Amino acid sequence: MKNGPVFFLGLFAAVTISWAGIVLASHAQLGGLVPYFDDTEGKSFPERPAGIAARGQLVYADLGCASCHTQQVRRPGFGSDQARGWGDRQSVARDYIHQARPQLGGSRLGPDLTNLAGRKPSAPDAEDLLKLLYVGTPVHPRYQFLFETRPIVGEASAQALRLIGNLAPAAGFEVAPSERAQTLVAYLRSLNNTYEYPEARPAPAPIAAKGEAVAHGTPAASHQETKQEGKK
Amino acid sequence: MTNAPTNAASAEVTAIDSGARRPLLLLLGAALVWLVVSGVLALITSIQMHSPGFQADCPVLTHGRAAALRETAFIYGWAANAGLAIALWVLARLGGAPLRALNWAVIGTIFWNLGVAVGLVGIATGDMTSFAFFQLPRYVQPLLVVAYGAIAVSGVLAWSGRRTDQTYASQWYAVAALFLFPWLSSAAQVVLLWAPVRGTLQALASGWFTQGVWACWLAPLALAGAYYVVPKVSGRVLPSYDFAPLSFWTLIFVGAWTGGRHLVGGPVPAWIATMAVVSCSLLLFHYLIVGLNLRVACGAEGTGIKFIRYGLAAYVLGGVLDGITSFRGIALRTQFTLISDAQEQMAIYGGVSMMFFGAIYYMVPRLTGRPWASALFTVGHRVLVTSGVTVLLISLFVGGWIQSGELLDSKIPLADILGHLRIWFLLGSAANLVILGANILFLVNFCQSACVCSPIQASTENLFRQPTALEAPVS
Repeated sequence: MKNGPVFFLGLFAAVTISWAGIVLASHAQLGGLVPYFDDTEGKSFPERPAGIAARGQLVYADLGCASCHTQQVRRPGFGSDQARGWGDRQSVARDYIHQARPQLGGSRLGPDLTNLAGRKPSAPDAEDLLKLLYVGTPVHPRYQFLFETRPIVGEASAQALRLIGNLAPAAGFEVAPSERAQTLVAYLRSLNNTYEYPEARPAPAPIAAKGEAVAHGTPAASHQETKQEGKK
Repeated sequence: MTNAPTNAASAEVTAIDSGARRPLLLLLGAALVWLVVSGVLALITSIQMHSPGFQADCPVLTHGRAAALRETAFIYGWAANAGLAIALWVLARLGGAPLRALNWAVIGTIFWNLGVAVGLVGIATGDMTSFAFFQLPRYVQPLLVVAYGAIAVSGVLAWSGRRTDQTYASQWYAVAALFLFPWLSSAAQVVLLWAPVRGTLQALASGWFTQGVWACWLAPLALAGAYYVVPKVSGRVLPSYDFAPLSFWTLIFVGAWTGGRHLVGGPVPAWIATMAVVSCSLLLFHYLIVGLNLRVACGAEGTGIKFIRYGLAAYVLGGVLDGITSFRGIALRTQFTLISDAQEQMAIYGGVSMMFFGAIYYMVPRLTGRPWASALFTVGHRVLVTSGVTVLLISLFVGGWIQSGELLDSKIPLADILGHLRIWFLLGSAANLVILGANILFLVNFCQSACVCSPIQASTENLFRQPTALEAPVS
């Protein structure tokens, strides 16, 4: 440590190597991911989000929804993600390539939202989501600042919430979602990553592995195929 | 007892200290204001955990925004300012010469804190970046790097102009922290904010930055203080000190490689998580050596050393827990639960902040030339903040354990899990209230100690020598 320049060089090398190792190396591996073209369906996956959904993601990010909701499903058998109905396959890097800023999240105080629009038996519709945002639940805060209570001029708005009881606005008034609320809901309703990419297929169970390896190729081989498809 | 280190203070002030008094007290004052601000925000976020409606109608304080504000005020407000003050002071003292370029440091401090304030307003109005430890909007980030550089100039000059050839562990850690933060921040800014990489690569770069901030900036700042104060106060040579360089380089080289430890099973290459497991295990060596080096803190007395003892215990224990929870089988349980929050609080509050408190309690009397204004507040702060942080960690760990078990059982709805955690959330709020109260005491005590104009300055010129008992070599 007596030699100043060498010391500084060491410090610099430490940061550079870890940055190159984690960021550059994974960029080399994943940076070229392209959408996967499905011949039978005749289109590519993941599909680009509609403009309104992309704007909704900005609202999702700026309100900090990711502090309680994740958007990453772990593989079946690793945790209860599948059993909770959050997704039948694990999330893969390809799912996120069209997202300006993926909201993976790190806390599951609330449910995972990766496949919110593909929930079974029924996915929440726009009105359910708007009501959740306006009314809240005992465990979900209400965000009434995303709505506007305004006097009804002429005919009532088609978008106004149908509220009953003490939540209903005064006579002659209606509660209408703001543009931010609408884009947020459009985003939430676009969350559906259920297309099965080759790399997302679960590895065969250990016992069945031998038989299936002959039939379908080993998991390693299927990864290779994926890579080549990606390069095309 | 509380005043043990402070009684000697007036006799121990040197020209090195008195010259740096105002700039360093400015840094510390700013740090403590941000600490209280982040305490208020921590209280709000923890109340929202058991009463989600609290302040929910206020767009500035949705849970997500309040949490980002709390984290940013804590890291960039409190930890950065306090850590820089400690690092500069340690470098000046061990360098053996008064700090130079202090006007740069003052200008840098002003702009840094302005930048943080503007950034917090930006987060509150919806410009957060949504990357952990990196929430400040991109329009203040370059300013922060420049301001940081201006503050760090003094420290680097003190290092390069040191009077002795020999260097000490606290100097390495301080210089590393001063030098590395601008690199970490600018590299992360490029790949996350200015020319963002695609998709989940952002999560990887963000993980690299978060762990880099921890291992190459916050932890070194804390250790710089601890490696200086512990031998000074205990008057003993540090045991196993020969291993300290290896421990230092382990932390710096391996630290940021743990970036994938929160992405186990996530949509990233599997080798990222494997590297994190390997790195977390390698880091155990660092924690072991730090524990061995600084174990002499156990026998010493004084307010500062009590904080450092707590901080060291939390630091080492936190490192071991990081190692354990990075393994896939265990990450499966702990991922996405309050246990992650608990580990983070254990690292930045239990470990780093406690070591900062210890160093500040040792340092301020030597800067001002008089003991802390109120011994009562000193004791009050110590008792309240240590018990508050302990209770907070217990509530998060126990709550997280319950949550992790119930999350694995798909039959329990998420709403019910939150209901079962309510008691632990309430306990966490109580703990945050106590911590906030303690830190307000600390701020008041600091203002009273720092604002009194001390007449020492004129007579310090010939007081270069320190009492021999306190002059034990750091090595």
